[in-house]
Amino acid sequence: MTTVPHARTGGPVPRPAPPPVRRPRRFPAEGALVVVFGGAAAVLALWWRHTPSVVGLDGWLTGAGRITGLLAGYACAVLLALMARVPVLDRVVGTDRLARWHATGGRYTVFLALAHTALIIWGSSVSSRTNVIDQTATMVFEYEDLLQGTIGLLLLLGVGAVSARAARRRMSYETWHHLHFCTYLAVFLAFFHQLSNGADFVADRPARIAWYTLYLGVAALLLWNRFLTPVRRALRHRLRVAEVHPEAPGVVSVYVTGRRLAELGAQPGQFFRWRFLAPGHWWAANPFSLSAPADPRHLRITVKEAGGHSRAVARLRPGTRVWAEGPYGAFTAARRSSAKVLLLGGGVGITPLRPLFETLPGEVTLVYFARRAEDLALRGELDEIAAARGARVHYAVGEGAGTSLPLTADALGAVIPDLAAHDVYVCGPPGMTEAARRALRDAGVPRRRIHHESFAF
Amino acid sequence: MLRAVAATTATVAGLFLLLALKPHQSPTAAAAPPVEPTPGGSPSAVPSAPERDGTSGTFTGDTIDTARGPVQVRVTLAKGRLTAIAVLKGEHREGPSADALARLTKRALAAQNAKIDAVSGATFTSEGYRSSLQSALDRADG
Repeated sequence: MTTVPHARTGGPVPRPAPPPVRRPRRFPAEGALVVVFGGAAAVLALWWRHTPSVVGLDGWLTGAGRITGLLAGYACAVLLALMARVPVLDRVVGTDRLARWHATGGRYTVFLALAHTALIIWGSSVSSRTNVIDQTATMVFEYEDLLQGTIGLLLLLGVGAVSARAARRRMSYETWHHLHFCTYLAVFLAFFHQLSNGADFVADRPARIAWYTLYLGVAALLLWNRFLTPVRRALRHRLRVAEVHPEAPGVVSVYVTGRRLAELGAQPGQFFRWRFLAPGHWWAANPFSLSAPADPRHLRITVKEAGGHSRAVARLRPGTRVWAEGPYGAFTAARRSSAKVLLLGGGVGITPLRPLFETLPGEVTLVYFARRAEDLALRGELDEIAAARGARVHYAVGEGAGTSLPLTADALGAVIPDLAAHDVYVCGPPGMTEAARRALRDAGVPRRRIHHESFAF
Repeated sequence: MLRAVAATTATVAGLFLLLALKPHQSPTAAAAPPVEPTPGGSPSAVPSAPERDGTSGTFTGDTIDTARGPVQVRVTLAKGRLTAIAVLKGEHREGPSADALARLTKRALAAQNAKIDAVSGATFTSEGYRSSLQSALDRADG
């Protein structure tokens, strides 16, 4: 196991003038949460206004059932909105954080929907003095739109079950991703019983209109951002694969050409969701970071063989049409608050760091972790950039105890003096990112200066 | 795991709090303890109507908004006895509530009061029916 430290001292290189350092910018991600919870409070207020009293056991049960049902209905809309790839939301909150919120909220919502179902059935059976089985049958088959609602619930539970961590490990990203599309159907099916049976909507027209607005608004966002925008882009930019180039064992770069690429406004550190219109590819849009600054004629991604989809990327033929959604991601120069920047890359996590390394102003240091020296993809161009701008690169090769540069505060501090004064961008596999964050916190780097992006879905 | 426990606890506590803050007596019907169904063994037993001695006439109940739409009834009393109940609002042509109102009317005429069991599958309608009927009877008393 070797370390290959490439300390470069700056020669007479035309360096970009360091721009005025901006004040640490607080991203209003919490603002988005305030909106979400404000909406939930409004939903509770709706229930409060329509409920004069809670009488008896059945009153308590149906009351709790109505509240959980309202919240579940609201949460479904919010969860879809989080995944609607709204550019501003994506920039402000960050794609990975949106995905985390969606996952946490999704689990919670499945349980809300279950609680709603159980409480309403139980409450109604107490109120009408029938047993739970008969009551369930009556409600499912005779209440308006409840058969659809039941199918929606079962679909939601099914998706919840396959999304559980244990099940996730046994299936490919693609399979899981496509099963997830069933939730659109589930939410659609469950929508109608909310309005036809929900006590808070039947008698309240403004509430009904608000509910329709919420759901139709989310549907419009989804349609616009996840369907119309990619189609429009495809027509305007006519993206095609130009070349597939091997970089390291199992790692390839794909060059994509097209027209008017500057209009895309892609910044270093951002990614697109790529859909290659080739057999076995067209049905999946996978997120890959740009591994070079976008120029008006080329985009480049660098992909490691992971799931079935990324493995097949190596076999893409030049000329293949490409749809790209994006650019996405808040892992850009805008996050920086200090003039000194450290980039920590692990494995193929180097991809978004590579264009940042070239373009970030100020004093930039790159530490690149890989298992073996031959796994250091893009090494040649990283060395060139380092030489051109007088930046430093450290290559840390090895695994576990054998690594030459362990991810600890001491080891990092020895390589980077005044580590605590740096902004740190971290991108790599989840284990590496976590270790890096701990080490950086131990070294005194404030949390707001640690920027990371993980693509573990 | 810890987060799951926290989320569950917070949700249950929040639900409990919201429900506990509401009044626990029905605003229209005076707290009606669940009444046993009329004993089936004595179909000829004439239920008593103690409060409304002598009152005759028609009395219209409140319109009660339920999850399945408004329900309103009008009662006819003959010397304190409940002789007819007309449903002014709340008829459903389809679904579980279709014949629920007829059954509720039958039950109410048999019980001679509003303390009747809900019809299975028509919980909301039943609640609205009972409240409207109770308000009509209250009007007759007043």
